[in-house]
Parts: sequence; structure tokens; C-alpha cells
Amino acid sequence: MYRLLRKIAVTPKVVIPESELMTLQIPELGAELSPLVKKLFKGSLAIREVAAGSSNAEEQELTALTNAYYDIERFGVRFVASPRHADMLFVTGPVSRNMAEGLKRTYEATPAPKLVVAVGDGAIDGGVYRGSYAIHDSVSEVIPVDFSIPGDPPAPKVVMAALLQILRDIDNQTEK
Amino acid sequence: MEFFLTPASLFLFGGLFLFGAFGALLLSRLVPDGGKIAGTFAHVLGFLGSLAALTTAFAVLVSGQAIAFSLPGTLPFVEFAFRFDALAAYFVILVSLVGMAASIYGIGYQKHFFGGHSLGWFGFLYNIFLLSLVFIPLANQAFFFLFLWEIMSLSSYFLVVFERKEESVQAGFLYFLMTHLGTAFVMLALLLAYGATGSFAFDDWRVASANITPLLQSLIFLFALIGFGTKAGIIPLHIWLPEAHPAAPSHVSALMSGVMVKTALFMLVRFFFDFFPGARMEWGLAFMLLGSLSALLGILYALAERDIKRLLAYSTVENVGIMLMGFGAALVFFGLGAESFALFALAAMLYHMLNHAIFKSLLFLGAGAVVEATGTRNLNAYGGLLKFLPLSGFFFLIGSLAISAFPPLNGFASEWLTFQSLFVGIASPSLLVKATFIITIVSLVMTSGLAAATFVKAFGTSFLGRARTVRTELPHEADQLMLLAMGFLALLTLVLGVGATFMIAALIGMIASIGLTDPLSLRFPFSEFIAAREQFANVLPLETIGMLLLVIFAVAGGAVYFATRKRGIVYGRTWDCGTPLSPRTQISSTGFSRSLVTIFQGILRPTRQTSIEYQDGKMRYFIKYQGIKMGLGDPYRSGIYGPAHNVLLFFARQARRIQSGNVNAYALYMFVTLILLLVWTLYS
Repeated sequence: MYRLLRKIAVTPKVVIPESELMTLQIPELGAELSPLVKKLFKGSLAIREVAAGSSNAEEQELTALTNAYYDIERFGVRFVASPRHADMLFVTGPVSRNMAEGLKRTYEATPAPKLVVAVGDGAIDGGVYRGSYAIHDSVSEVIPVDFSIPGDPPAPKVVMAALLQILRDIDNQTEK
Repeated sequence: MEFFLTPASLFLFGGLFLFGAFGALLLSRLVPDGGKIAGTFAHVLGFLGSLAALTTAFAVLVSGQAIAFSLPGTLPFVEFAFRFDALAAYFVILVSLVGMAASIYGIGYQKHFFGGHSLGWFGFLYNIFLLSLVFIPLANQAFFFLFLWEIMSLSSYFLVVFERKEESVQAGFLYFLMTHLGTAFVMLALLLAYGATGSFAFDDWRVASANITPLLQSLIFLFALIGFGTKAGIIPLHIWLPEAHPAAPSHVSALMSGVMVKTALFMLVRFFFDFFPGARMEWGLAFMLLGSLSALLGILYALAERDIKRLLAYSTVENVGIMLMGFGAALVFFGLGAESFALFALAAMLYHMLNHAIFKSLLFLGAGAVVEATGTRNLNAYGGLLKFLPLSGFFFLIGSLAISAFPPLNGFASEWLTFQSLFVGIASPSLLVKATFIITIVSLVMTSGLAAATFVKAFGTSFLGRARTVRTELPHEADQLMLLAMGFLALLTLVLGVGATFMIAALIGMIASIGLTDPLSLRFPFSEFIAAREQFANVLPLETIGMLLLVIFAVAGGAVYFATRKRGIVYGRTWDCGTPLSPRTQISSTGFSRSLVTIFQGILRPTRQTSIEYQDGKMRYFIKYQGIKMGLGDPYRSGIYGPAHNVLLFFARQARRIQSGNVNAYALYMFVTLILLLVWTLYS
């Protein structure tokens, strides 16, 4: 009982200290992301997340993107429920054999032009699971991958920064 | 052309039908394995006979002179008298157009029956049926007519039971019973007319009709209404129709639904306008109300139906209702002395008769193609057929559009005309008449809407979407001859729709020419037809609408093509979220109509039975099987035919008391009767 009360008293009100919050620069990232989303995707970028045998670490981080703290939706990026609505696929995990077919079908169901981003080390080269009999080792063995975001798992802020970089790349390519 | 205006032309097409009938029988008997030849022969002769009948009818209509003659006969009561006037010619055109299409279709469709069924017998029945249909409007003597009427009923009965399935035999039995009930009433009407005029010749009836007492006239009309109403399928006399029409082979269904029910309507026109004109206005009101009831209930039952051919049969009940509305309105207008409107309403009725014959036959032929391709009549088992039967599907769509009164097709023209004539009636000062017209209009409005819903369902659930059952073999497109027949009828729906203005003028001229009234003092001056025609053309320039639609479709099509010309098309599977789609993950025909059935549950009285079975008896956690059975109540059987059956049974039981089966008792009865007769003759 005492321990519990002490824990309540000691535990800070916010999980991340305010000082760190100031250095995160989420609004700055977003301020750059949002005009690109507006320009390239006519206002909103719809992402479909496909968990192809990941350890759920990437999903945790991606879920964090939509929470009240990061709130990526305010910059025009949204996670959608169907590949039919998606511009971009976030694929996580080393693609287990059972998910290969599902991943292929999801890819087929996404309307062109479609972007595929492999999120996390597992998706890029199998990560710690590399060489297992149960997996395909990487997403690019199953469907064509356009971009990768490394990290095991990548932090939400990293994902945002990488997303910005991806959009800049696309922007540069389309301008050429 | 001269030839076709002589009695010889009647012998020509009559002879062709008879040759087809007996030739088919002989061929199938004489030639070994001759079923195929016999069937083809019968259908070809049926086609030629229909063609000859069509030519004769056109000759009669164009020349404006009737063919009337009678054969010398020695039979008592029966005189083989023919009268091929303009009204009959119109009806013969209707019969022979459908007859031609059905015959062409039949050549392809008969494959269905190779082996197992006697095509010689079928060819015989088919030609006899066509013969009776063509000759009924020509008969000019009561017993000759009755003879043909009975041949029509019997030949169609044998066609209904031709496939010898249990359901078709049952349907045939019901049909047999009901049609003879109808014939009994027809006979009563004919005998009463004989009693009133002293002759069996229809020509004498026309002359003597002025001297008939109102009571007798009303009785004749009542019996004619019940008798012919049974054949026409007026609710509540319709119960045989949705059973019998679907049970026959499809092109015979087309003839039964498209043409045979019209013979009854044709005879009603004869009775009320030709033989005994001057019916009281109340008859018209009664017909309008009957028509409203038949139309609305007919289409509601069609909507709830999941058997494609039964759906079409119920839709026939509906369309007969619409025709009765026009018919009733014409009677009312005659009663009120507004002859030009009466003419208009009658034209609407006759026009709808032809139009319905065309599009209903088209739909039945289309349904036949679908049934042949899938082997079932259950709408819930179709789905996605357009990929396999593109042309049949297209023709079925044309038929569905026509029956849903979609301009510029023919269904729209005649339904609109019916509306027009009904709207005029609201202006009547009498409250009763006004109310009846309003009720009829409301009924027609609802009927049209529900008809559209019904055919959205019929077309959508059969041709669109994915297959609703797992198919072991792929459906195949219909035979080329079957397609030709459907294409012919589809073209006619367009021609009859776009040419509506011409048709109205022709119809009004035709009705005037048959002399519904005294030809010396023509009650319809020709200027009135012109006025009526012009009026109609002003309200409804179908040619213009047709052109406009063509332009709209062309512009829209061009725009779509222009906008999408650079787009590629990728065919992929449906996104199923990882759960494989089964044939049942789409709306079924029952589901489609369920919400409307719920709205009308006061009338339709839907029934619902659920059944459930568990794997683990008492625990009730794991369901093994769960079923739901939905249907409609049948108030006609429980409310009318059931009680009538019970009354009949009661009297039969009473009669059994004296019918002991004992010979001595019968001898006693005879003896007593003899004594009584003797006493009676002595004292009277």
C-alpha cells in the first residue's frame, strides 16, 4: 500500500520531461511535412500499415504517431483501414511465410501509383530473424520496395523525419 | 396482296399450323430417332404459319375490309363462322409476332428435350396451341369459339405438364381445374346470350344487343367477367397463373403469359364494346378497381418472388391489371358520353396489350436462356451471368427497361397513355367516379415504382455481382437462334416505343373502323382522332425523346471516353480484408426485396420460420446448423379456395347418404321418380 502511494507521488505527471519535449521539434518537422503532403498528395497522405510478421515493436511506434503527442494527422498524414484508400504502404516485419500471400494481395489492391516503405530492420533485411526458415528475409523479396526506414524499431520522430525525406525525394524526382 | 384478303389465306395459315402439328407427330413416329427433325419441323411450320397470319392481318388492317365467311357444316349448334375484322387483325398481329419469335427460339431451345421427351408430341401440341390462339379472335359463333377456347386450354395444359416433373404436373392440375371453372362461366355467359338473342351467331348478338334487358345484360357481363377473368388472371382468380406459366417450356411460357391471357381480355373487349355495347358506367368503375387491385398485388407478389419465371408470371397479373384500368376507364367514358376519351383509354389498353405481349415474351425467352445456362430458376442461385451470357443479358435488360416503363421503349408509351386517360377522368363531376379514378391513378403510380424495383432485382441478382452459388460448370451463352428471337423482340420494343405517335393514330383509326357503334352515324368524327393524336404527340413526343436520349447517351459516352482514354484498366480481385468472399457475401434477391416486403407486410403477410441445431445438445454453445425460412402467406387459398373446398366437401358428404352404392336402392329411386313423373304429367 505504501509502495503504491509512493509510486503515485514520485511518478511524474508527463512521461517525457518538458525539457526533452522542447528539443523534439515535432512542429518544425510537421511544418515542413505538411506543405509537401499538400503539394504531392492534394492535401492528405493515406498510409496503410501491413504487419507482415513483425514483433509488434514497429506497430507500437507507428501507433504512437497518431496519439495526442505526435498527432501526425494534423500534418495531413493518416493511417487508413483499407489498401483501396491508400497512397502508401508501411510494411513492417520480415514477412513470415503465412503473410506473404496477404502482403501480395494488399499490394495488388492498392491503387497505382503506390509507394511501398519498409519500416524497421526486420522489413529491410530480416533483422534478428534473418535466415529463419519461417520468413522471406525481407519485404523486397515479395513486393517491390521504394523506400526504407531503418531502426529496430524506429522511433516515431525518426519515422516522421524519414517520411519527410521520402517526400522530399519524390518532390525532387517529380521536378526533374 | 389480293390473295390475303380471301378466305383462302385463313386456310393457308390454318393449314400450315395443322401440317406442322400432324407432320411432327408423323415424323417422330416414322423416322427412326426423328425427335430432332420433328421438333425443328414443327417450329419452322409454326413460324411460317405465324408469318402467313401476320401478313393476312396486315392486309386486313391496311385494306380496311373484313374477311367474313362460314364453312358449311352439319354439326348441331356449331357453325364454322369466321370474321376477320380490324380488331381481330390487331390481335392476330400480336399473336403472330410472339408466335414467330417463340418458334425461332424453340428451334434452339428444343435441344433441352433431346432424349427422354417426345418432341413429336410437343410439336403437335405447340402448333395446335398456336392455331387456337390465332383462330380464337376470328371465331364468329359461340360454340365454334368455345371449341377453340377448349382446344387452347387443353393444348396449353398438355404443354404445362410436358416436362412430367412433379411440380409441373401439380401446376398443370391446378391450371386444368381453374381453367375449366372459367370455361364453365364462359359457357354460362354464352348460353345466357343465346337465351337473350335466340342465336349462337355473334353477328346476331351485335344486332339484337339493343333489345336485351339490363338485368340479363348484367348477368352476361358478370359471368363473362368471372369466366374470362380466370383466364386473364385477375386477382383473386389468378392462383393458377404463377404455377402454370413457369412450369411450361420457356417459349411456351412466353406464349401463355404474353398471348394466352390476352385472349381473355380480347373477348372482354368483344363482349363489352362489340357484342353488347352500352354497358353501365358502374361496370367501368368495377373494372378499374379490379385492375388497381390486380396491378398492385400482382407486382407486390412479383417483388417478393425468388423464382425468375414465377416473378414474370406475377408481373403478368400486374400488367393485366393495368390493361383493365384502361378498359374500365374506356367503359366509364362511354357511360359518361365522352367518346373521344373512351377511344383514348381503349387505345391505351389495346396498346399495352401488344406492348406487354412483346416485352413479356422477351423476358420469358431471356429467362429461358438463363434457366438453360444454369439449370435452376432460383434467383438466389444466379449472379454474375452477364459475363457468360452478354447478349441474353442485354436483351433481358431491354425487356426489363421496357416493362419498367423506361422511355423511349414501348412500356412507357402505353403506361403513359393509360395515365393520360386516367387523369382526364378526375375532371368528372361525380364524386364516385372521381374517387375511383384517383384510387386507380395512385395504384398505377405505386405499381410502376414497384415494377421498376422488381426488375432491378430480377436483372441485378441474375446478371450482376458474383456467382451466388458454387458452379460446377460454367454457364454458356444461348444458341444463336434463341438470340435472334430475343433480338427481334428487343427491336420491336424500341420500334413500338419510338413509333408511339403513329401507333396511337393507327389504333384509334382501327377502333373506329370495327364499328363499335353504328357505322352510319359515326360517333367519332375523324377530326377528333386527329385532335387526340396531336394532343398526345404534344404531351409525349416519343420520337423527340428518343432522339434526345440518343444524343444524351452519345454525348455522355463521348465525354467518358475522352476523359478516360489514357487510363489503363487493371482487373484485380475484390479486396476482402483477408476473409475469403463466399458466394453468399452479397445481397440476395430475398434480401433486396425484404425491406419492401416489410413495408407492405399488412398485405403480403410474410412468414418466418427459424430452425437451429446444436452440436452439444443441452449446453447450446456450438451451433451445428441454423436456418431461416421466409415466405408469404397465401390468403387466397386459406380465405377463398379452402372454404369453397370445404363447402363442396360438405355437400358431397350429404349426397353420400342417398348414394349408397346399393343397386336395390337405385332401382327404388328410379321407380319413385317414374311414379312422380306420371303423377306430374297427369295433373299438369
